[in-house]
Amino acid sequence: MRSPFSLGIGVAILALSVSASPALAHHGWSGNLDEEFQISGTVESGVSLAGPHATMKIRAEGQIWDLTLAPPPRTQAAGLKEGVIPVGATVTIHGHRNRDPKRFEIKTERVTWNGRTFNVYPDRK
Amino acid sequence: MAARSTFIPIASSAWPGNRVMYEFMAWLQASALGHAMRESGVWTYGVVNLTHILGVASLFGAVLVLDLRLLGVWRNIALATIAEPTVPVAATGFLIALTSGVCLLATKATEYVGNPFLYIKFPAIGLGLLNVLALNFLSGWKARKTRELSSHERLQLSVAGGISLVCWLTAITAGRMIGYW
Repeated sequence: MRSPFSLGIGVAILALSVSASPALAHHGWSGNLDEEFQISGTVESGVSLAGPHATMKIRAEGQIWDLTLAPPPRTQAAGLKEGVIPVGATVTIHGHRNRDPKRFEIKTERVTWNGRTFNVYPDRK
Repeated sequence: MAARSTFIPIASSAWPGNRVMYEFMAWLQASALGHAMRESGVWTYGVVNLTHILGVASLFGAVLVLDLRLLGVWRNIALATIAEPTVPVAATGFLIALTSGVCLLATKATEYVGNPFLYIKFPAIGLGLLNVLALNFLSGWKARKTRELSSHERLQLSVAGGISLVCWLTAITAGRMIGYW
């Protein structure tokens, strides 16, 4: 009994630990609504290329919205570098809103400012 | 940070300890380490994250083998023989994971205040370390190189091995889930 039992434990533990894998895919899209979401507002705090995802904040409809952009290298590659869009500028955000209506967070695919569109997820529509 | 005010409601909504936690995280985030993590290039976080994973992999890989032996698997291999490589690999992995983990946390530390998985992860790590301490006091562990262990000692070691597996699996699972909250 011992060896099948130990094999079973080993496989179960490995399966558990493997399911806890990679890093940059962070967050995923499942926590956000499937429908496309668009909103315009003013930049509250500019693009930050730090952490697992680039971020910025906008003020729109009386709320502060947390924008989750692509991972920093990818966001930078889309031209959306720190300081490019000034604080207070009017931007239009396209992406997917958080499933929790009390959380004002948008997984952002595109940021449009001053006629320029920064497409941080060009492979998503 | 300019964004600070938006985090304070999160910090104060759960329990009073969050206030203390917030102060600590704000200090960590404002530290030289936090600045370095945020201002040293777009690949920094990814590379440090890689280091963290390598540390966790070394820790858990070694701990898994040792704990399964403590639980009675591979009894034909002496415990001392298995402990010789696994203990230093686990200890080194832990130090790498700890160092890189503090760096990752410092990047945007205040954002983790109120994240429930953080409050599972850190106690699990604490219990895991206490378990290591306890293991080192067990007669079965101390005598592993010198004599046959009694069945009572083997039972004690298997309990320590079981607790260890639960602690580290919990810490890793909660740690992975932090990013999905």
